[in-house]
Amino acid sequence: MLYIHQYSCISPQHTFGSIDLETLVPSIDNRLKALEPAYAGIPPGMLRRMGKCVKITVGAAMPLLADHPPADGIIIGSGNGGLEDCIRFLDQIVQYEEGMLTPANFVQSTANAMAAQISLLTHNHAYNNTHVHRGLAFENALLDAWMQAVDNLDATLIVGGVDEISDYHLNIETLNGTFKADPCNNATLYASTTKGGLAGEGAAMFRVGGRPVKAEAGTTEPGSGAGAEAVQADKTYAVAITEVDLFHSTDPAYVQGRLKGFIGADTPDLILTGENGDPAFKPFYTAAEAANTTVARFKHMSGESPTASAFATWLAVHLLKTGAMLPEHMIKHAGPSDKGFRNVLIYNAYQGRQHGLIRVKRTPE
Amino acid sequence: MSRIVVTGMGLTSAIGNGTEANRQALIAGSCGIGSLEGFTTRYAGILPCAEIKEANPSMQARLRASGAGLTRTMLLALDAFEQAIRDANLLPLTDQNVALINATTVGGMCLTDELYKDSHAKAEGSAYLSAYDLGSVGVYLQSRYGIKGIINTFNTACSSSANALMYGARLLRHGRADKVIAGGVDSLAKFTLNGFNALRILSPELCRPFDRDRQGLNLGEGAAFLVLEREEDLRAGSKVYAVLSGAGNAADAYHPSSLSEEGEGPFRSMQQALQASGLQCSDISYINAHGTATENNDEVEAKAMLRLFGQRVPPFSSTKGSTGHTLGAAGAVEAVFSVLSLIHQEVYPGLRFEHPIAQSNLKPVTEYEQRPLTHVMSNSFGFGGNCSTLIFSKA
Repeated sequence: MLYIHQYSCISPQHTFGSIDLETLVPSIDNRLKALEPAYAGIPPGMLRRMGKCVKITVGAAMPLLADHPPADGIIIGSGNGGLEDCIRFLDQIVQYEEGMLTPANFVQSTANAMAAQISLLTHNHAYNNTHVHRGLAFENALLDAWMQAVDNLDATLIVGGVDEISDYHLNIETLNGTFKADPCNNATLYASTTKGGLAGEGAAMFRVGGRPVKAEAGTTEPGSGAGAEAVQADKTYAVAITEVDLFHSTDPAYVQGRLKGFIGADTPDLILTGENGDPAFKPFYTAAEAANTTVARFKHMSGESPTASAFATWLAVHLLKTGAMLPEHMIKHAGPSDKGFRNVLIYNAYQGRQHGLIRVKRTPE
Repeated sequence: MSRIVVTGMGLTSAIGNGTEANRQALIAGSCGIGSLEGFTTRYAGILPCAEIKEANPSMQARLRASGAGLTRTMLLALDAFEQAIRDANLLPLTDQNVALINATTVGGMCLTDELYKDSHAKAEGSAYLSAYDLGSVGVYLQSRYGIKGIINTFNTACSSSANALMYGARLLRHGRADKVIAGGVDSLAKFTLNGFNALRILSPELCRPFDRDRQGLNLGEGAAFLVLEREEDLRAGSKVYAVLSGAGNAADAYHPSSLSEEGEGPFRSMQQALQASGLQCSDISYINAHGTATENNDEVEAKAMLRLFGQRVPPFSSTKGSTGHTLGAAGAVEAVFSVLSLIHQEVYPGLRFEHPIAQSNLKPVTEYEQRPLTHVMSNSFGFGGNCSTLIFSKA
């Protein structure tokens, strides 16, 4: 069990600061760009040098780091890391014919820059790791945190998923069919009949541990104290990630078998699927749907990215912790449960090959 | 707690193909560093590199890897991976709970020029569109062998594959896999060559780990994979090369591209590896050091070793003088060397050392030596302050 102590998310939607999931922020030119906050608490000189991936990671993580002893681990999942810097450095190589290059873009482009930056800012010498396995980078980061929490129930860990949009990456992945080549907007995404999804980006960060957070005297309530409005303090329900699995397959029958095995007799009351407007991947998601379960989608909010499941996890935690209503625009099929959800399954099939399963529950149920 | 054992290994580097060829080269004190020939760059002949002198088409034919969109990184990984699973007699992989944990810092960016074109192309892309990212290597191996278990890729710069081995051992202990194939790969690339050159840490001469007059590192390429299993799952009479006794991972938390003066990260990762193994400083028989031969690393690593071991620093050397710095593969390459040291009870020399660094006055092993070894420590420290240490013990 991985108990969620705090959670925070910078995304294309209103997930940071005052949370509003009812209003759907529209995509622009097939992109869902992160709504970046003012980044209070990060020194401006430092901020200027940060690539977007690092910025949104640190920005989302800040509220989870303030007023806490150093975490026992910082674990980040990112499919692509700082791609903008990476290709900027590539441009330098070509433009200056390998002449005198400045190393800043090179250093910022390495995938471990996000976890490293958090350790730097907080002088944290603990376990520090970066998972980069494309569409399963976040699931692996969660599994890493999970195993650490089992090994040491008292450990608290920062775990998160992050990816950024860059023009170059958009170009490559549009040519590759990951993103749509034709104009599409997020309000009508699921009616699309063309290949690919909408480009998305964001950072979702979680403070987790092997035990539920203790109800401490003076626990910060939302709306009070530094960064508190960005974070939902644990005032209502304890929520935990109870299972994580990940595998590769392009065979729908095999995938369905693994899904069945994962769900077992524990039918979720809400399934969040990674449907992304690409008809080729619909069969995977349809196979995951169940008659008596509410089915909802999130990629019209987050867009497609290798770590979109981190956004879905943030959503699930938020719904379970606060008992907030599911926004209408997310619902594909409404199930019988209208008294707030307790048991959520997140299923994502990145590029129809990389399958991630995450179960999030209220505890005790 | 389950003991995690090494039951298979595969390795390709600039000093040889296969574990035995690498061992013989290390014993002979061979150096794989020389002039770069594999791709066009203005630094060919200027910045020495440790290159595997087999071109991609030859590797593709030898490894029966046909099809478009295969990168050199995939091919090097395939070579070492195939050796490891054959060595451990694991085939076929489809019916078992096998996990593949890879590590790489370059991925498909070895195709620096193609990536540049594709990132600016408007009409048609190349065959490599799905091959640039770091996950591409693991995805390729997964689909080639039909692996059903957990697949992951790490990038913590130069400590990446040490973290892959650490994660692999943890998956086994938690019952999330029955067999783990963990390691790493990197191929030489215009991207990294220019990146490290911009940081001014590449040596214009053959590198000299731990020497007073060292001028930086030489980049290398290679791949290594180790098969890990729980000791209690082994059939009677199974071959066991070594025990992975423990691992440590700590952040230096000082600077994005250099280590702190006091070596807080290196010190802690070594200390944690000892704790995780239940060992004392005096139990360590030899250290395969990170020893990149940069001004910063060797000075800090020496200091951290003195901090932890006091005046009784175990015999140590860096094999990067032979293989160059293989970045994301280095942790796994040196894990294989550490295991070879334990199997054969021998220590490989650090090349071209002459004068110790004044502040630490530590001298690495410079000649091939046979000596009794029980526990071998292997260090890997990366940019971003990601420090990892593995300890292997005699089977």
